[in-house]
Amino acid sequence: MVEAAPIARSPIAQAAPTTIKHGWEVSARRSAADLKIIDCTPLAKILVLASPDGEVARALGVPFGRAARDPHGTLVVGSGPGEWLLLATPGTSPAVTQRVDEVQDEGLVSVFDATHGRAIMRITGAKAPDLLAKVCAIDLADEVTPNGAAFRSSVAKLVTDVVRDDSGGSRSYLLHCERSSGQYLFDALIDAGDEFGIEVDGFVDPGKRGVHRV
Amino acid sequence: MTAQTVQKAVMPMRLDHRPGEVIDRGRELTFTWNGEEYPAYGGDTIISALAACGERIFSRSFKYHRPRGLLTASFLDPGCMVQVDDEPNVRGAHRRVEPGMVVSPQGVWPSLEYDVKSANRAFGRFLSAGFYYKTFIKPRRLWPLYRRMLRRFSAGGRVSAGPAQGYFDKRYAHPDVLVAGGGPAGMAAAVAAGRAGAQVLLVEEEYELGGHLRWGNELDALRVLREEVSRTPGVEVMVNSVVNGRYDDNWVAVMQRDLSHVQERLVKARAKTLVVAPGLIERPYVFEGNDTPGVILSTAARRLINLYAVKPGDRAVVFSANESGDAAAEDLRRSGVEVARVVDARRDGDILRAKGDGKGLRSVECADGAEIECDLLVTAAGWTAPTSLANMAGDRPVYDERAARFFPSILPEDLLATGGIAGDGTLDELLAHARATGQEAARRAVRTALRLRAGIPQRADEQEEPESGSSPVAIPELPISAHPALFRGKTHGIVDYSEDVTSKDLVAAEKEGYDSIELVKRYTTVTMGPTQGKLETVNAVAIMAEATGRTINETGTTVWRPPYSPITLGALAGRNFEPVRYSPMQPWHEIHGAKPLVAGAWIRPDHYGDPASEALNVRENVGIIDVTPLGKFDLRGPDVPKLLDHLYINRWDNLEVGAVRYGVMCLEDGVVFDDGVTGCLGPERYIMTTTSSGAAGVWEWIDHWLQTADPGWRIHVTPVTTAYASINVAGPKSRELLLRLSDGLDLSPEAFPYMRVREGRVAGVEGCFMWRIGFTGELSYEVHVPAAYGLHVWETLMQSGADLGVGPFGVEAQRILRLEKGHFIVGQDTDGLTGPYEVGLGRMVRLDKDDFAGKPELAWQSERDSRLRLVGLQPHDGSLVPPEASQIVENKNEIVGRITSSRMSPTLGRSICLGFVAQHLTTPGTKVTVRLPDGERIPASVTPHHAHYDPEGTRQRG
Repeated sequence: MVEAAPIARSPIAQAAPTTIKHGWEVSARRSAADLKIIDCTPLAKILVLASPDGEVARALGVPFGRAARDPHGTLVVGSGPGEWLLLATPGTSPAVTQRVDEVQDEGLVSVFDATHGRAIMRITGAKAPDLLAKVCAIDLADEVTPNGAAFRSSVAKLVTDVVRDDSGGSRSYLLHCERSSGQYLFDALIDAGDEFGIEVDGFVDPGKRGVHRV
Repeated sequence: MTAQTVQKAVMPMRLDHRPGEVIDRGRELTFTWNGEEYPAYGGDTIISALAACGERIFSRSFKYHRPRGLLTASFLDPGCMVQVDDEPNVRGAHRRVEPGMVVSPQGVWPSLEYDVKSANRAFGRFLSAGFYYKTFIKPRRLWPLYRRMLRRFSAGGRVSAGPAQGYFDKRYAHPDVLVAGGGPAGMAAAVAAGRAGAQVLLVEEEYELGGHLRWGNELDALRVLREEVSRTPGVEVMVNSVVNGRYDDNWVAVMQRDLSHVQERLVKARAKTLVVAPGLIERPYVFEGNDTPGVILSTAARRLINLYAVKPGDRAVVFSANESGDAAAEDLRRSGVEVARVVDARRDGDILRAKGDGKGLRSVECADGAEIECDLLVTAAGWTAPTSLANMAGDRPVYDERAARFFPSILPEDLLATGGIAGDGTLDELLAHARATGQEAARRAVRTALRLRAGIPQRADEQEEPESGSSPVAIPELPISAHPALFRGKTHGIVDYSEDVTSKDLVAAEKEGYDSIELVKRYTTVTMGPTQGKLETVNAVAIMAEATGRTINETGTTVWRPPYSPITLGALAGRNFEPVRYSPMQPWHEIHGAKPLVAGAWIRPDHYGDPASEALNVRENVGIIDVTPLGKFDLRGPDVPKLLDHLYINRWDNLEVGAVRYGVMCLEDGVVFDDGVTGCLGPERYIMTTTSSGAAGVWEWIDHWLQTADPGWRIHVTPVTTAYASINVAGPKSRELLLRLSDGLDLSPEAFPYMRVREGRVAGVEGCFMWRIGFTGELSYEVHVPAAYGLHVWETLMQSGADLGVGPFGVEAQRILRLEKGHFIVGQDTDGLTGPYEVGLGRMVRLDKDDFAGKPELAWQSERDSRLRLVGLQPHDGSLVPPEASQIVENKNEIVGRITSSRMSPTLGRSICLGFVAQHLTTPGTKVTVRLPDGERIPASVTPHHAHYDPEGTRQRG
């Protein structure tokens, strides 16, 4: 039998130096740039499918097109009609799944661990909307996509879920896509952000604060 | 010599400091023009620098190759198109000089000064409008010759033969108010809109805001306006940019050029309100010799003097019909130019002709008979309102006889006009109009925003107040000043400088029956050159009106369509976004020399150097292939079997937990659409796999049926293609290899037989599942592991199986192996007409099911013999591999089939094929004739099975 502990890897090549956190290979690079991009793929990603009128929907409390944190620090994203994506600290998929499973809902409820199926990255900085405006046609003004807005759109011609999740007064967006296109999206964002001085920042364990914020 | 003296020597026409000059005298630089080095200052345009050095001729005209010089000294200047390095058709009167820039004239031979093609002038009367159509239509066989000759005479620069140059970009914008034009009205409107709370995008074609204030006498007003713009929050300014088009719902295309890092950027702006403030364009006057170098517009003279400190000539005649001409005369006097005469059109003064030689203007003949020697003629004959953007919004401009120019008529709700395009008046009156327009634009934008936001999901605590309603802002009327109607004098001259179309051409066209301005445009090409009618449309309309005896309003204008100004293909294309998909094992493939195969968006290993050896290794030892792109769907719910029964042609309601079944999907027309295996992992829990290329289509197909077949079905479907890394472990030693890595899984044939699925831990990774299927025809296991561990499992398989001879194999080896085994591939061995009966899957079609996609058509097909059948084919000469798509023929050339797949089998040492043949040829052993693409015919025989190798399936069931 093989003894070596398996290492989970993001689809995005990690900027040197690298380290292992929660069994994931992550970049240990730290950037002080005004505009940063972070590969957050190690986050636990739980997909929930349930009736939009059922108990699960009420428990999650977030409608389609919006995102908010629950008391556990999990970012609940209303990613579609009757569809939610829950983003949580790496390695917490079983706990998050259990919490959803415990909700008594008479309708059909499916909980799927999508941690390995999605790539997720975060762009933070005042220029983040300017960067996104080069690759995404959605209006990123406060009035249209305020903090907590969630939408699915084409980003650099790729179907991408975008969540505005500001941090400390700074604009911040989570972008997630199918895992196989993660490197492509990451590269496209860095290319678009080059004129704004974007730098890669390493993933930091968000701990009890919930989903990693910068 | 002092530095100033040296400067005078090399830039003899350069003036002393001007209050509004845009040149940076502290930044001296040099560039090359026509093979010689020239000095310039920072901020100089190519043409202003050359004019400062005394140059007057910058190009040759399109048809007659007449020498051409300055006309407008702006972006529009038709005589100033030059080649800059590898870039053709650069607007020399707009593009700023860069150090070391190599600038050359375009389309001249052998030189700008002595252009042989100017001989065209001698044949000018044969080159009238439409001469192309008349001259080159017959004899048709000579057209290739004509074409070569015409290409030699065509104007324009040289496009680099090398790869695309420069970095082009795109951006999206959603301004509340977009102001097109950064003159005084545009600035005031932008500030007013910004102060009203709007997000404003202010776009200006020139390098600085200010419009005509920049070269006028109101520099204090300009400074104040610029400060207001810079201080107003929410106003984004784009200079050296142009609004190129307005489309439905105020989708506005802006070409941004003021960027250091990209050549051009196309900004796709969705403006809630568009304010059109382009100012006015000065109109040339049509008379004999009006294109002689040295004949320029009054605004050109003022630009040269006041912005670039360049004296446009030494002795001038000014033809003036308005204040701009008067001001130009004053500017000329102040800059040391001798103004020999001011011909005042308001007092019936007129110009008959300008006379010159190859070097430029020599004299001007006035209508009163006076001929005045001069090297400069400045004309101020009137204005054209660039109503393009309004036209693009559906407006048809109306001619005002008193003002002798067109005005917009009825504008849509989301478009407002201000500035010169809307009327005349003092600067204060213009600014008052613009401010009110800006406020109204902001008000309308709010209304639009509220309407749009009504459709956006809101949390309960974010509900907005309904629109309270606001009153329209009162916009004061602008006065309209009288202006002489001056279009053509008493002689004929150039109307379209870009296309060399004369007023005589237009009159001739009318005589030939082209009495519509739209037809005349197409026949003579007037207004079709790079200036796109901005200088010539009104003159062309007026001349046509005169020729037809109609009024200008009756004659109408041509339709102005996007783009407002010529646009590069690079800018339209923008950045080339082409999403690609990689499996988790891609880094390993790259390190190990995999040749990439582009399969849709996926990049897959085609092979690792020798696909035949890879295939043999699978037959003899064990191979692993990355099959991550296989489409995968997680299906949950009690009604999944109903869905499967509806999607597939075979039966699914009896699939037990732990079992895997092969299925074929057909469209409603009975055509094979996709195939794959689906396994039952647990109660109400299934995994479906599809072909790699069909995954997206199957997802849409599933979604379609979920929404339409029965809304009561309790099913959840999640695409999980990339959630799992998929590895096919194939070969006689595959079980032995997997035994080393699968913790607790019993892989014995009894415990894990063919077509079964098991879940468990592989290489220390939890959450894996594997099923026993055999696309390669060998004992094989398709292992699906959580994707983040894909590379780990792959590397572990390679390490652990080294002693077993494990090796990777790519898509090509897999194709060889499956062809040996006789498995067809949807899309390769089927086409848009192939049903299951044709590929030998008739036994799978369960017409006794209540319903499924394609059932009616398949029921019909089941009662008829299909036209073609898929069979195995064996060329008699085993060394020949007939190319795929080779025809199968009989009776000389009657097509009775085709080869769909063919390879050289490394296992069998001979060629193998699958192909379609007509019904009467399907009997095993039937000899058929394969016609190769080169016409050669080779014999082949129909084999008993699709499978050339192990037709009994003992190896894969082992």
